[in-house]
Amino acid sequence: MSTQTETEIPLRQRVAENPQPALVWAAIGAVLVGVELGAILQVVVAIGGVIVNLVPGDPGAALVTSLQESLKGIPTLVSREFIPNQGYWNGSEWVGTFLGLSPGQAWAVRFVVVYAYAFAVLGWLWDGYKRYRQYYRRADWTPRDDVVNRFRGHTWGQFGLVITIAFVVMAVFAPALGPTTMEQNILQPYDYEINYFDEESQTVETALVGEANIGSGSQGAGDENVAPMTYDDYGRFHPFGTATNGKDLFTQVVFGARISLTIATVAMGIAGIIGLSLAMITAYYKGLADLAIVLASDSIQALPVIMVLILMLVIFQNTWVRDLYDGAVLIILIFSLVYWPFIWRSIRGPAFQVSEQDWIDAAKSFGQTPGQVMRKHMAPYVFSYMLIYASLSLGGIIISVAGLSYLGLGITAPTPEWGRLIADGQQYVASPSWHISLIPGVLITLVVTGLNAFGDGIRDAIDPQADTGDEAAATGGGA
Amino acid sequence: MSTTSTEESKMTRETQETLLEVDDLKTYYEDGGLLNSNPVKAVDGVSFEITRGETLGLVGESGCGKSTLGRTLMRLEEATAGEVKLNGTDITTLSGADLKQFRNDVQMVFQDPDSSLNERMTVGEIIREPLDVHDWKTPDERRARVRELLETVGLQEEHYYRYPHQFSGGQRQRIGIARALALEPEFIILDEPVSALDVSVQAKILNLLEDLQNEFGLTYLFIAHDLAVVRHICDRVAVMYLGNIMEIGPADEMFESPANPYTHALLSSIPEPDPTVARDRITLRGTPPSPRDPPAGCPFSTRCPVKIRPDQYTDLDDDVWERIEVFREVLRERSRAELSLSDRVRKLIGRETVQAGMDDTLTELFGGLSVPVSVMDHLKEAADYAENGDEDAARAYLREEFGSVCDSERPDQLGVGDRGRLSLCHRHDEQYDEPAAVFETLVQ
Repeated sequence: MSTQTETEIPLRQRVAENPQPALVWAAIGAVLVGVELGAILQVVVAIGGVIVNLVPGDPGAALVTSLQESLKGIPTLVSREFIPNQGYWNGSEWVGTFLGLSPGQAWAVRFVVVYAYAFAVLGWLWDGYKRYRQYYRRADWTPRDDVVNRFRGHTWGQFGLVITIAFVVMAVFAPALGPTTMEQNILQPYDYEINYFDEESQTVETALVGEANIGSGSQGAGDENVAPMTYDDYGRFHPFGTATNGKDLFTQVVFGARISLTIATVAMGIAGIIGLSLAMITAYYKGLADLAIVLASDSIQALPVIMVLILMLVIFQNTWVRDLYDGAVLIILIFSLVYWPFIWRSIRGPAFQVSEQDWIDAAKSFGQTPGQVMRKHMAPYVFSYMLIYASLSLGGIIISVAGLSYLGLGITAPTPEWGRLIADGQQYVASPSWHISLIPGVLITLVVTGLNAFGDGIRDAIDPQADTGDEAAATGGGA
Repeated sequence: MSTTSTEESKMTRETQETLLEVDDLKTYYEDGGLLNSNPVKAVDGVSFEITRGETLGLVGESGCGKSTLGRTLMRLEEATAGEVKLNGTDITTLSGADLKQFRNDVQMVFQDPDSSLNERMTVGEIIREPLDVHDWKTPDERRARVRELLETVGLQEEHYYRYPHQFSGGQRQRIGIARALALEPEFIILDEPVSALDVSVQAKILNLLEDLQNEFGLTYLFIAHDLAVVRHICDRVAVMYLGNIMEIGPADEMFESPANPYTHALLSSIPEPDPTVARDRITLRGTPPSPRDPPAGCPFSTRCPVKIRPDQYTDLDDDVWERIEVFREVLRERSRAELSLSDRVRKLIGRETVQAGMDDTLTELFGGLSVPVSVMDHLKEAADYAENGDEDAARAYLREEFGSVCDSERPDQLGVGDRGRLSLCHRHDEQYDEPAAVFETLVQ
């Protein structure tokens, strides 16, 4: 009888019986959330503001505004306000920076804190999974455990994962990572003033950001160049140097990561949903349904992707669709329409394979509905293959978006995009201002390599038989 | 459950009503060919009945259509023609709520326990799924039911949260059986449920199946190719060949004295454990014909060792007669072979195809034998037709000359004995010798 009740206990009760691991985990979580509470609440209120905006008559708009104001008072760990780096030298010390450090040092501290916080949160989630697995899960083994364990032994895949996380963190924490803000440095430089120490007069002067930018562009010549990890004439620190127009390159790179990642993941997500649904339908119904989708996908695959993108972007040049999210929405739509056949093709085989399994017949034999058969008995087996393909294709989309922006299409200025940065700096590659093209270029290479490595890792973790290396030979010889 | 109740149920079985009635069931596979729509006749006119509480064994060599028959009864394949009546309702045309009710009453246990359980689901979820689909009572009661089923099939309640990977083949098959039992069906189709298991485990699963049958009054259709297993568990046996039931009847009687020539051959293939017993093994020549193009007469006529001969050839030498049958089979194979494109062109412009050279075939077959001149003339005539690329004419000619009722007429299922045994063979007709008698003469 004891076993009979044991299987009945809901998760809450299982936690109550052995609360310590869960409590420790929850306490760490509370600390991690607590230091970012202000930011989290601000996001919530911002979403509330959007909803209020949509409701006719804007009820409670004042309340939202007052809430937003009061929230600004809550200190958050990972923020510009808590670790400021924009200050000036008054002749004897740095004013307005974190602990009186130099702007460069203060920025470095914030950079490290951002990444430390992000990895701490991920580590906490991983720890939560392990605690659940060890203390609370009813099954002592699941097939997914093997996948996780295999991935833990896959160094190349882990390298990919780290790069991918670094890239995602860059996109998510873009406002906190930049040495200056998007608004101040790039979008409205003539609406903001900065203080700086004038060497000649030995006094603190004031200048518009726009004027300062003009004076600190990287144009190739020795005196018209702000190299990476240096200060410009206005006492501003530039981790990646400046662009040709004097705007901070690092700020542009992190915000560029945001838009690249958004386009790539959303487009891949939509393409994935379409591809997976169609793969389920073709594999379940076969025959005519399959033929129709083969024809549709072949027609789309016959089109040269980049060509279609350029044509569509030109056709929609002056329409409202082109303006949504600086053109990203249109690019996302085109990519998802063009990419689903590739995803569908790559998972059609595995889908057909799983549709031949006896458990599909078994499910049909006791009257399971087609939708449930696809969802419960087919999709889980195919989903992992899709994940592999998607992670490998993300890099392709990032490169394509960069390519479009490089050609002057794609994301509209002034929203930063890696491809456009490369194009801007192209003529200075062989000059002291080499950093404008090189840094975004290296980053694209690194991110795409990382995503590919991650995809390899997932593939080997999911399907150890697919190993092409010596591992397979070793197991084959042993068995 | 004691043995007396088993006896009782066996006694009452005789008088009890028919659960399943299959009438001239046909399942053809159209393979979507646009040009030639010559379907595979997997099940080609099968009729039988199953009474409530009995176990009917369905045996036959692989590819004979026994699994297709099971899947058609389960509505996993659509029947091309014929009726399947379960408790008097034809199930081949059910849809909607009626079909769902049918899915509640009939369940299936699959052959391969590795492939029949979804590896990503826990054992509990697997067994619960039929209950969820049919909205059986409350979720709590479903969980309780699953635990009860786990015990019923000899597993433990803690196995609820394990995955199929963590079990042996025999245990997995128990899980499959528990899933089939979940909805308390009347009728279970067992599609070779033990053929993928170790012999030691087979016996345990068979005993479990028998116990369950006695406990819940189940009716089984037991599909198998292992005759010993069938003999052990079945009340009645149906022998299938090329989509037809060749013989059906009580298991003990059929194993003692098979009536149909095919059953004869099949039973003689059971290995005899005692090496001192002399055995007359009947080895069938050739392979079963293609189910796309079954013989016009008796399905077994192309391989039957005791085929009826035309009157004028009854005294012909056995070896010569056998070679004639082989020659006919060669022609049958030739007519089935697809001509290559170049062969077609050659045929059109009147040149010899690669396939020609029937003279060699004749010499090879009849070289060492003394063939009567009249017979040889007929054979040469047929060979000429074939040489000219008209195999069909050659076959028709030989059928005319050497064919008998076996080639031209499909036999009826004729009664044998007094316990309802039926056998598909012309020899049960009074004007011919019984197959068993002819086998006696062959063995000498």
